[in-house]
Amino acid sequence: MTMSVPTLSRMEILLAGLLHYGTWIASVVISLGLAFAMIGNRTETHNVAWPMRLATGGIALLIVLPTLRVVVMLYAFLRERDYRLALAAVIVLAIMLAGVMIGLRTASGVAG
Amino acid sequence: MDAQFAAWLFAVSLGASAFGGMLGMASGIFIVPILTMFGHVEIHEAIGASIVSVIACSCGGAAPLLRSRLTNVRLAIVLEVATTLGALTGVLAAGVLPVPYLYFLFAAILFLSAQQMLAKRRGSAHAVAATDTCRWAATLELHSSYPDRELGREAAYKVRRVPMGMALMYGAGLISALLGIGSGVLKIPAMDTALQLPIKVSSATSNFMIGVTAAASAGAYFMRGDIVTALAGPVALGSVVGAVLGARILMLVPTDKLRVLFVLILVGLGIQMLLAATGLNFAGSR
Repeated sequence: MTMSVPTLSRMEILLAGLLHYGTWIASVVISLGLAFAMIGNRTETHNVAWPMRLATGGIALLIVLPTLRVVVMLYAFLRERDYRLALAAVIVLAIMLAGVMIGLRTASGVAG
Repeated sequence: MDAQFAAWLFAVSLGASAFGGMLGMASGIFIVPILTMFGHVEIHEAIGASIVSVIACSCGGAAPLLRSRLTNVRLAIVLEVATTLGALTGVLAAGVLPVPYLYFLFAAILFLSAQQMLAKRRGSAHAVAATDTCRWAATLELHSSYPDRELGREAAYKVRRVPMGMALMYGAGLISALLGIGSGVLKIPAMDTALQLPIKVSSATSNFMIGVTAAASAGAYFMRGDIVTALAGPVALGSVVGAVLGARILMLVPTDKLRVLFVLILVGLGIQMLLAATGLNFAGSR
């Protein structure tokens, strides 16, 4: 072995942990929400509003997860003083934010 | 929430995801046709549910690929500028494009996937020549190396034609947002032919980027109200469980037979989507 094998960078370890646990947490939250909604459906009160809101929160968490991943990358690139890739991360975040804004505008357009 | 329908959504997504995972394919391409044609779900809501499951599968599968250093994180963030911009365009287009066009486009992507599944995928097997390296890739330091198990050593690779790769990625992002799929069908040729990455690096990096690309459009669809929890919840859960199972069964099934079955299903769904585009629907007519 002549070539030195590069070790995992801190960023890769951090990203792997974030995505792994993030997916698990979001999945558990969605499952709990749906399970309580089914239980609520069977009881007389038919209280399914809050369990469904919990499940919606889990879905929102899942959508936010990749955004957090870009934030972590931005932080890592800034620490490495790699400003060009940090700029790429900022542009990606700006585009994702623009998507949310477009969604908000078109939603209100439909409502009124 | 209808418990029976939720269970059906969960089971169907689990099956699609496990089946897709066996050949390294995302489940999104199956979920939208199944939901619209067999579940009678409105296509925008089907796309909303599918895009959430695409995020879940990308994020859920990323960790082992990152840990084995197959993902080129630096290249990913550069290409994501193009994929998210494409996704943003897709969100705008989805609002104005008539529904039959969506069905038509989906059919085209299904046929393209079938054709791609038939043709054996080739990575860049040839040795790296020092002559035509990309200037962008050099200045952004995108070249990297990965542990090659077959060679038993670290293998260095160069990234080529980044501008062309970016252009193709823009298209992949657009299709991803429009149809609620991971769009690996367009990302992988971009990675293989334009950027000329080793096949494992290309798959890992593509999977990594799919989450951010899908989140760019999912954020918009969530705010717009196209993501219905009663649909997206069971679909996302089923897809995550299916992806885990699919990776486990991968070793047990002969891939060549699976490949043929896959092509048949893709063509079948494509024909269904074509019929739906023209206003006919045999599978779901009651």
